This record gives sequence, structure tokens and C-alpha cells, in this order.
Amino acid sequence: MEKNVVKINELVKRYGDLIALDHFSLEIKEGEVFGLLGPNGSGKTTTINCLLSLLAFDKGDIEIFGKKMTPVSYDIKKEIGVIMQNVAVFEELTVYENIDYFCGLYITDKAKRKQCVEEAIKFVGLEDFRKFYPKKLSGGLLRRLNIACGIAHKPKLIILDEPTVAVDPQSRNRILEGIQELNRSGATVIYTSHYMEEVEQICTRIAIMDKGRKVAEGTKDELKRMIKNTETITIEILELPDDVRREISGLPHVYDVRFDDSKLVIGCSGGKHNLTRVLDVLQKRELSFGRVYTELPTLNDVFLEITGKALRDKED
Amino acid sequence: MFLHILKYELKNGVRTKDLIIWLMVFPIVLGTFFKIAFGSVYNKTEKFSAIPVAVVEETGNPAFRQVLDGIESADEPFLKVTYADRAKAEELLDSGDVEGIISSADKLGLTVKQKGLAQTMLKSFVEQYTLREKIAMDAIQTSPEKAQEIISSLMSGTVSSCREIPLTQGNPDMYIQYFYNLIAMVAMFGCMTGMHVTMQNQANLSALGARNNCSPAPKLVTILACLTGSFILQTVCMLLCVTFLAFVLKVDFGDRLPLVYPAAILGGIMGVSFGFFVGSVSHMSQKTKTAVLMSASMLLCFLSGLMVGDLKGTIAQKAPWFNDINPAAVVSDSFYCLNIDEDYTRFITKLITMAVITVVFIMLGFIISRRKKYASV
Repeated sequence: MEKNVVKINELVKRYGDLIALDHFSLEIKEGEVFGLLGPNGSGKTTTINCLLSLLAFDKGDIEIFGKKMTPVSYDIKKEIGVIMQNVAVFEELTVYENIDYFCGLYITDKAKRKQCVEEAIKFVGLEDFRKFYPKKLSGGLLRRLNIACGIAHKPKLIILDEPTVAVDPQSRNRILEGIQELNRSGATVIYTSHYMEEVEQICTRIAIMDKGRKVAEGTKDELKRMIKNTETITIEILELPDDVRREISGLPHVYDVRFDDSKLVIGCSGGKHNLTRVLDVLQKRELSFGRVYTELPTLNDVFLEITGKALRDKED
Repeated sequence: MFLHILKYELKNGVRTKDLIIWLMVFPIVLGTFFKIAFGSVYNKTEKFSAIPVAVVEETGNPAFRQVLDGIESADEPFLKVTYADRAKAEELLDSGDVEGIISSADKLGLTVKQKGLAQTMLKSFVEQYTLREKIAMDAIQTSPEKAQEIISSLMSGTVSSCREIPLTQGNPDMYIQYFYNLIAMVAMFGCMTGMHVTMQNQANLSALGARNNCSPAPKLVTILACLTGSFILQTVCMLLCVTFLAFVLKVDFGDRLPLVYPAAILGGIMGVSFGFFVGSVSHMSQKTKTAVLMSASMLLCFLSGLMVGDLKGTIAQKAPWFNDINPAAVVSDSFYCLNIDEDYTRFITKLITMAVITVVFIMLGFIISRRKKYASV
């Protein structure tokens, strides 16, 4: 049986009248890439800060590697790598020096540290930038430096708090590939994000958070099975007579039909050949249509159905 | 781990432009500006030592003449005497060739046309001579056998007391005070490096603080290493500042220059600890704390007379205790004592005060920063 690396039990954190974490519980197994997914302000970063013992909480217990986590749990901290949401590096130290500094807080042996620093630089692809100061690096490279500072000491548990915010797609892919590589090399990863595609891409298990509560937990397939929607069919069509709409609504497995802005969107729950049946109706009525596509449910659909709102904020 | 953190603290500090500007460039530029601005005044005050005075001998007073001769024949004469009749003397006074007219009759009289340092010194000289002459006359009447001895003693006393004799071997010139104020201000600027230590080690103040708090490095070790680094940087800056003033700008600190160094270094360390303490107090953003710190240090400098000279005297009258605990006032006072006092008692007291304030600030800072968890991050 896989060991629990992290165990959070009934965590409560209040900021005055605002409840940031509301009896939040979680168990993360060894070797997992665990995703904490939720919109901004849902409590992801608060959870991470409580987990790292940076933040005082009102109720609950936190165990890491089977031991109670406290601010002076140096033996536990030694095995954790943290990549914060905000880039945390020294502006006046070079890439190499920054990684060496943070690595030196974990590893005192100079030779071993040097090797770790070199490997971290290679891992994040900053070989050509080792003498650069952070202000000379692009946003993506800076994020990579931030990651290198957090993982150089080869931690067993890596906590990444929205590491890809404001990162270009190329750097984002590289970061995500890197996280999977770290996981393959044995590290357990906790990954917070409000980008569902990232979480879907790399996480083996996911917890969805909203208003400080865990609203769902499981693998992405398990999560998707929790909701009614199994398929969304979209058809570009100029007009949709009411009787046609009623006929489509009456088809097997169809539970939702919307027509807006020349787009017919049909929600289906289970079943097979749903698209074929819908197209048969349109052809029988000799209605011409444009593009047709079908989508499987996303985590956003899961979140939408569970909480009644979209996962992403408008600005995203 | 301590040495590892210290090494990078020093590297980081040396490369931080703001610190270099305020701790190195600022004193060099302002010191040079002071030297240019006050250089001519400074030279003028050096020539001021012999005060031109006209003496009108209305009745013969050989004792007074003997005193004047004694003064004029000294290595650094205090008076440059011109004997003249009343009309000629007044002509010299009107033309500004002499600062005053001393009339020698039964009693000495002094005529001046304006107020000033030279006139004050002449007045003091005339008053002292009159006083001592009376003492001598009284002594001759009561103990005639000791008359010669008393007169010699008083004459030498009169001559020496009327010279510009500094109480110390320092430089009591008023313009040197500007340079001392400059050193004191640089010492207070050390608060910025102290604040930097707090920012780097408190999770609720910066991302770096949060990352450092996640590491297995004990907080005491990281803070101590960072503080040591800041002390070293500040000390180097203070050494360079004093050395630049003394040896490049040739500011005359007298023969007490070696004592200016420890006072400046201790002042700088106190400045760092002040910043560390203010940085540790309360949960404010980095920008707010920096603004509070700069305002506090500027206010303390202002109240210590580093900007308005008379203010410290006013505070000394109204609330003398404040000058004893105001770090900026303690630093500038230490230099003042060094210049004015003959012995080192007050100077040493000021050094001890600085050391005590430093220890108090550091201990309070530690007590506040030792907190491990934060209400918000």
C-alpha cells in the first residue's frame, strides 16, 4: 500500500470573518502528481502556506512524511522543495549563485552541492544563462530559475504554487514536462493551478477547491464521471425552427439544447451515436449547417456543474 | 550554513546599488560639496586668530602694556595691537582696520562698532584683565610679600586664557560639525541594510522571506548571518567615508581621527540594528515599512540637529532624556564630545550608549522576528 506523504485533516483558516479554509482534508500518496484546482481565492495558496507551516491556522492537523509539520520541523523541510507563486530570487545574484544559495540551505557538502546546482541548471535549460542576473532574464526563464532554486536539492516532495502564471506557451510546456520528469525520478508533486489544461495534462489525482472547501476529488476520469455531461455537440447553423429544436431535445441521452449566436449546443449524458442521431434530424429537415464538432467533458465542465460557475476567472 | 549565508549576504549587499549610493556615493558627493562650499569660510576662520585692536593709553599703565607685549610676542598671538591716540584709533575703527579700541586709563574701556566673535573675545579679554587686576591689587594689600608671585601667576593666566586655545587636540571649528553630521547621517542610513535583513527573513514581507522560511535553515542562524553581513558592509562604508573625508578632502579631524573611526563604526552598527528593529515591528508591506523607516530616521536626524543646528539645544532644554536615546543624537554627540571635551569620559559614555542601544534593538528585533508562523502571508 502506498504511503501517505501529506495528510491534512479538517483544516480551518479564517481571515477575520472570511473563512479561507473550511474543514479542508486531503491525503496525498507517495509518487503522485496531485493537483489542487480552483479559481483565484479558492484557498489553494492558503492550503500550501499552511502545509509549509508559514501560516497559522485555526483548527486541524497537518502531517508530512507521517510526522506533524511545525515551523521547526527541519528534518521534514529538508525533504521539501517549494516553488512559490511569486518569483523568489535575489536580484543581485547570478543564476548560478541564486541556485547555489538556496541549495546551500539544504546541502552543506560543497562537492555534492555543486553537482546538484549543475544538474538543476541543466534540468531547467539555463546552461547559457548561468552568469546572468535575474533582471536580464525573460519571464519564462525567470520562472525556470525559480523552479531550479526549489528543486536543486532533489527533494522528495515538491510543492509548486501556480508556477506557470504569466509564462509563454513554450516555457510552460517545458515546465510541465520538467515536473513530470521530476515525478518519474521519484518525487511526489503537489501542483496548484487554475489552468485546468495543465492539471489535466500532468496530475494523476486532482482536488477541486471552491471557497475554501474541497468540492470534488479523484482522477480526472473519476471527476468527469461525477457529472451528467459525457459529450457536448456543437453545430454551426443559421436558423433552428422550434419544432426541430423540440425533436432534438427528445432524442435519447440529450439533456440540454441551446441555440445562441448561430450555434447549436447539445449536451448529452451517456449513450453512443449521439452525433449521428442529431445530424439525421437536421438532414431530414433539409437544414444546412456548417462546422460540426463534439467535445468530451473538461474539468471546467466538472467545476461548472458542481459549483454552478466557470472555473476560470474572466481575466484568464 | 552560517558562512554560506554570510558569503551570499555580502555578495548581495555589495551589488545592491541603492545601498552603495546611500552609503558610499552620497557621503562622497555631499562631503565634497561641503568642502567646496565651506572651504573659503574655513580658510578665513584660520586667519582670524590675531584680532587687530587699537590701544589708546590715556594714562600710563605699565602692567597692562606688559600684558599686551606678552600676548604679541607669543607664537600665535591673540591680539595685533596698534598704539594710537583717540582720533587715530577711531579712524582705524571706522575704516575697519581694527575690531575695537581699548582705552587704558584707571579702568580699561572697550569701544566696538559691531557685534561679532572678535568683539566678544575682546570684551572677554578686557573683563578678565579687569577682574584679575582687582584680584592682584587685593592680594598685594593683604599679602604684600607675595605680590610678585601673584602678579606673575595672574599675568600668565590672563595671557593664556585669552588665547584661542582649544580644550582638546581635535578641531573645534564650527564647520567641522557639518562633516560630523554627515558621518552620523551615513551611520543612520545603515537602517536600510538592517531593514533588508528583516525583509529577507520574514515570510509575510517578501517571497524571498517565504522561501527562506521553508528551508531547513534555523531562523536564528539566517538572521544572525544576515545581520553579520550587514554589520560588515556598514563598517566598510563607515571606514571609507571617514577615510575619504580625512585623507582625500583633507578635513581636519585633529589628532583624534583614530577615535572618529570607532565612533563611526559603532554608529553604523547601531543604524543597522535600528533598521532591523523597525523592520521587525508590525505587519506592514515592504514599501510601507521602507517609508516608515526613512521617515523615522529622517525625523531622528532632524531632531538631533543634523539638519537644523539649534534644534538639539532646544530639545536638550525641554526634554534632555530624548537626546540620550535618539540614535542620531548619540552619534553626533559622540563626535561633539570628541572635539570639545579634554578627557574621554563623555565620549566613552556615548560609545557605551550606542552599544547598549544596538543590543536593545537587536534583542527586540529577535524577539519579534522569532515568531515562526504568520497570520497572513
